[in-house]
Amino acid sequence: MNVDSTAFRDFRQSLERLGTDVPADELSDDERVRRAKRTFMDKIDRHMAVDLETCIHCGMCAEACHYYEATQDEKYSPVYKFDPLRRFYRRELSPMRWLFRPFTKDLTAQDLEEWQELVYEACTGCGRCDMMCPMGVNISTLINVMREGLASAGMVPAELRALQTEQRDHKTLFGVGVEQLRELVGRLRQQGTEIPLDKERAEVLLLTTAAEVLLFPDALAASAEILNRTGVDWTLLSKSFEAANVGLVSGDEDSQRTASAGIVEQAKACSASTVILPESGHAYQALRWEGANEVGEALPFEVLAISEFIARELDSGRLKLKTAANGHSVTYHDPCRLGRHGGVIEQPRQVLKALGLDFHEADSNGRENFCCGGGCGEYVIRRSAPLRQKAFEIKKREFDETGADAVITSCANCRINLMIGAENAGWNKPVESLVETVAARLAD
Amino acid sequence: MTLLDFARGPALQWSLIILLFGVMWRIVGALLIMAKKDLSKPRRKTVLRDGLKTIATRSLPEHQFEKKIRFQHLSGYAWHIALFISVLFFAPHIMFFESVLGFGWPHLPNPIILVTAAIALAILLALLIRRVSHPVQRLISNADDYISVAVVIIPIVTGILAFAHLGARYETLLALHFLSVEALFVWFPFGKLMHTALTFPSRFDAGASFGRKGVKA
Repeated sequence: MNVDSTAFRDFRQSLERLGTDVPADELSDDERVRRAKRTFMDKIDRHMAVDLETCIHCGMCAEACHYYEATQDEKYSPVYKFDPLRRFYRRELSPMRWLFRPFTKDLTAQDLEEWQELVYEACTGCGRCDMMCPMGVNISTLINVMREGLASAGMVPAELRALQTEQRDHKTLFGVGVEQLRELVGRLRQQGTEIPLDKERAEVLLLTTAAEVLLFPDALAASAEILNRTGVDWTLLSKSFEAANVGLVSGDEDSQRTASAGIVEQAKACSASTVILPESGHAYQALRWEGANEVGEALPFEVLAISEFIARELDSGRLKLKTAANGHSVTYHDPCRLGRHGGVIEQPRQVLKALGLDFHEADSNGRENFCCGGGCGEYVIRRSAPLRQKAFEIKKREFDETGADAVITSCANCRINLMIGAENAGWNKPVESLVETVAARLAD
Repeated sequence: MTLLDFARGPALQWSLIILLFGVMWRIVGALLIMAKKDLSKPRRKTVLRDGLKTIATRSLPEHQFEKKIRFQHLSGYAWHIALFISVLFFAPHIMFFESVLGFGWPHLPNPIILVTAAIALAILLALLIRRVSHPVQRLISNADDYISVAVVIIPIVTGILAFAHLGARYETLLALHFLSVEALFVWFPFGKLMHTALTFPSRFDAGASFGRKGVKA
């Protein structure tokens, strides 16, 4: 359950260097605007058109945003974050464009520069504003199109661009590739955890992340212990172990598609009927909800988050847990893309209940939960660190109010971001993994 | 032709034509934009109920949000209710609707209507003051936000003046009331007043898209 403090310190140091050697995309201003507009045109569909037509500028969405809550700065109101998209729509696509066009400012390169900060550094796509809007506007979807437009205009922040290039060109993330995975699997095997690697056929394909390999190897070991205990036929594949999808968070759809297609291809090759994703919110969104759309066909296998799998196995009786005797008190942080965007809200609570822990809900939870403040790749962007820290204060306050001894979550990125916030704030409540908590209490 | 004849005749006809065609044009135009089929496997076979439910539930924000938007929420309710009462239960309005529709309904006493109209006016003015003074609303507001408030305020003001016979001859005040309502009809399809119709597909989409993931929206 403990995180290696040296590994964590090295990881934080690597974030300080991330992207510093990545050259900027040298595009002319006109080309940037042209590319952003083309992406907006391609991406706006009927649902978004209705949303863009319906927004009444009430500004209530601001009250849902952790960055607005933390700073009270109006520029962080979600509705403002998609303003260039709204203007583009009014000029180019709205049924009333013939009237709106002369009165609506055209998109400029300066707009793209201004919104790069708002979209990449002040929005994690958490979707809490989607739940608040009285008109039912899916605001996070519109802001995501802004990200995609900026990505096509070559304006992905250097840190995310570095990771995106690394994943696309080298099939590694944070330097973690096949070699590092094999090394970890070897180490875990020596410690007594049985991990099948590169089986030609298996019912279940388990994925992991570079974050687990580098920082949370216990989470991978825990997933393996749980799968072994259920008796399913499973494997990890060294060719395709990485669940993280940088393209999804950077807004680069080609990279997103390539990463998803790689997993789909390998899962098909080993005839897996189920793919289990590790503790990663965005990886779940990328494969469970966007994977089929990216590869252009329904997925021939089921996709489950590890917490969903555990809840299902507990239900079926194939997995049994030892109930905690001493009432260790915990609260749960819902990763946005697993909970609000993914529908995995009740399952982790079922698991915590089965563990018999003294569970306390935070004031915001489930579909209304506040983001950790560093999702959608934001925790790697150096410029947003002060803003993230302010947002962390919201989480800290809510966690403290629960009186719980520990925070449990089911997303490595949330965990890293919360740990960074805690370290900066000198806050010493442990941030633990759901899967590790379960593995520590497996019954015979 | 007097000003009142013009207001009751061609001005009313043309404003209604613009209203109906404009509303149809904007709704159909937005709905005709293509949407790709979502190929992911939904958690539920049908999301019709989720969509319909969200149409209703977005009028009742959850506690977590409600505590932060109480003023907007309650003022929104009060404004819409006061407006509907003033428009639909004022005796002369019902007589007008009867002449067009062929049937009428019971009216409320005039003092009640006067109070509801005054409440509607006061709330609109309060929301307008909030729009120019609240940093978020000031930042995100555009001409539509102000024009839409103006075209709703003016009919209420002219209605109250005509009711009270204040400021000019009754026929002139009545004509101005008609013309201000017609200005609202003409502006309606072009501005944010269209949320009256578009909020239904928008809320439905939100309910359906989250519903297929098993999330209550």
